[in-house]
Amino acid sequence: MPHSANSNEPLVKIRGLRFFRGDRPIFDGVDIDIPRGSITAIMGPSGTGKTTLLKLIGGQLRPQAGTIHVDGQDVHRLALRDLYKLRMRMGMLFQSGALLTDINVYENVAYPLREHTRLPQSMIRKLVLMKLEAVGLRGARDLMPAELSGGMARRVALARAIALDPMMIMYDEPFTGQDPISMGVLAQLIRRLNSASSLTSMVVSHDVHETAEIADITYVIANGEVVASGPSKEVLNSDCPWVRQFMRGEADGPVPLHFPTKRSLEEDILGEAHRKTGTCR
Amino acid sequence: MPLMESLAQLGRIGLGIFERLGRGHLLLAHILAGLGPLAVRPRLLIIQIHSVGVLSLLIITVSGLFVGMVLALQGHYTLSQFGAEDSLGIMVAAALVRELGPVVTALLFAGRAGSALTAEIGLMKATEQLSGLEMMAVDPVKRVLTPRFLAGLISMPLLAAIFSMVGVLGGHFVGIGLLGVDEGAYWSQMQAKIDLHEDIYNGVIKSLVFGFVCTWIALFQGYDATPTSEGVSRATTRTVVHSALAVLGLDFVLTALMFGD
Repeated sequence: MPHSANSNEPLVKIRGLRFFRGDRPIFDGVDIDIPRGSITAIMGPSGTGKTTLLKLIGGQLRPQAGTIHVDGQDVHRLALRDLYKLRMRMGMLFQSGALLTDINVYENVAYPLREHTRLPQSMIRKLVLMKLEAVGLRGARDLMPAELSGGMARRVALARAIALDPMMIMYDEPFTGQDPISMGVLAQLIRRLNSASSLTSMVVSHDVHETAEIADITYVIANGEVVASGPSKEVLNSDCPWVRQFMRGEADGPVPLHFPTKRSLEEDILGEAHRKTGTCR
Repeated sequence: MPLMESLAQLGRIGLGIFERLGRGHLLLAHILAGLGPLAVRPRLLIIQIHSVGVLSLLIITVSGLFVGMVLALQGHYTLSQFGAEDSLGIMVAAALVRELGPVVTALLFAGRAGSALTAEIGLMKATEQLSGLEMMAVDPVKRVLTPRFLAGLISMPLLAAIFSMVGVLGGHFVGIGLLGVDEGAYWSQMQAKIDLHEDIYNGVIKSLVFGFVCTWIALFQGYDATPTSEGVSRATTRTVVHSALAVLGLDFVLTALMFGD
C-alpha cells in the first residue's frame, strides 16, 4: 500500500480548493490540514458544504480548482482503480448510516470484508463480531436496518466503516437528530476508536459542544472560506464576531438571517410599480 | 422576443433530451462492463432473477390465461363465420407466440418489475446507499445494476414463453371446454403450422429486445432519479411510460423486419 514518505505530513492536505454548484461558490480558496492521529472537526452552519467537502476528499466530487492530497496521493489525479484502493483505507460514516436495507446488521458489517478480502467465513464471523462489540451492538447482529434506531444505525455503520481497519474515518453529521444518550455514546465511540485504532478522524458537524469536546483541532467554514481554525478550545473562545455567534448560537450577529436576494421586500410584495416609483425619486 | 425565447426553450429541451440519452448510453456501457466480473459471482444474478422474474410469475400466468381465453372467444366468433373453427388452435398460438406473448409480457414486466427496479435504485440513491458503496470501494453500477440488468434480460424471454404457454392452455379451456372445438384439430393444426424459426425464434428475439430495453430504461431512470421522494416517484412513472412506448414502437419495427415482405 502506498504511504507518504513523510509521516509528519498531514494525512489530508487541501490547498486552494474551489468548488461551485452552478454559479454559487461552495468553496472559494480553502486550505485545510488534517494531522495524522488527530480528531479534526469541520464546523459551519447548514448549507456551507461540509458534506460536499467529505465527498471531495473521497473523490466522489471533483473540484473546479485546487488539490486534495490524502496520504500523499492527489485524490483527483488517481486512476479509478487507485482511487478505489485509497477508499479501502478511508471509512466514511454517512449522516443516514447508508446501511444496505435488504441485509441484516451482521451482513452489513461483513459486506466490505466479503467484497475486498478472501478470508474464510469463520474469520469473517470473528471480525464482524469484534467490530460489533466495539460499537456495543453484538447483540443486534440479526436485526434488519429498519429495526434499528437512528443512533444504532449509525453505530452499525461505524462498525462497517472500521471493518477494513482504515487509516481515517470521515463522520458526516454524526450527532444530528440524536438524543443526549446516543450523542454521548457516539462521541465516546469516536474518541475511543480514534485512540485505540490509531485512526485519523474528521468530524463534520454543526453540533458545536459535542464536536468541540472530542476534537483536537477545529475548522469553521462559512461563505466558502475558512473563517477560523486552530485548537478546539481556542476556536470555541474566539473573539471573531462571526465565530462567536456560531459557537454560542446567538440569534443576533454578523450572520444574516435572510438568503441573499436582488430585490427588496417592497419590490417583491408591491411589484414593478414600486420599483419604478423608487427610481423616479 | 417571444419567438426567440420559444426557440431557445425548444433548444434547451432538445439538448436536455440528448444529454439524458448520452448519460443513458454511458450507463449502459458501464453496466455491460460489469458482466465479466458477474460471471464469478452467480449468486448475485440468481437473487435478482428471483426478484425480477420469479416474483413476476403470478401476474404473467394470470394475464396469459385470460388473454388466451379472450383470444379463443374472439377467434371462435370470427372463424365460425367462415366455418373454420378448427383453426382456432393455430390462431391462438400464432397470436400469442408472435405478438401478444412478447408485447404483453413486456408491458406487464415494465409495470411490475421495471417500476420496482426504478424505485429500488432511486431509493438506494436517496438514502445514500449507492454513495456508501462507492466509499467502500465497491462500484455500485457493477455490483447493483449489472446483476439486475442481466436478470431482466434472462427473465423476459422465459416469462414471455410462460405467458404464451398458459395462453394456449387458456384458449384450449375456452375453445374445447366451452365452445366445443375439436381437441385433435386444436393441437394438430398448431403443431403443423407454428414454425420454429418463423414464429418461435422471432418471438424470443422480440422478448429479448424488450427485456434489454425495459430493464435498461428502469435502471437508468432509477440511477438518474432526483434523490427525493418526488424524484423517485417521477422516475418510476417515467419508467412505465417510456418502457410502454419503447416496446410498442420497437414491436412495429421488429414485426416489419421479421414478417414484412
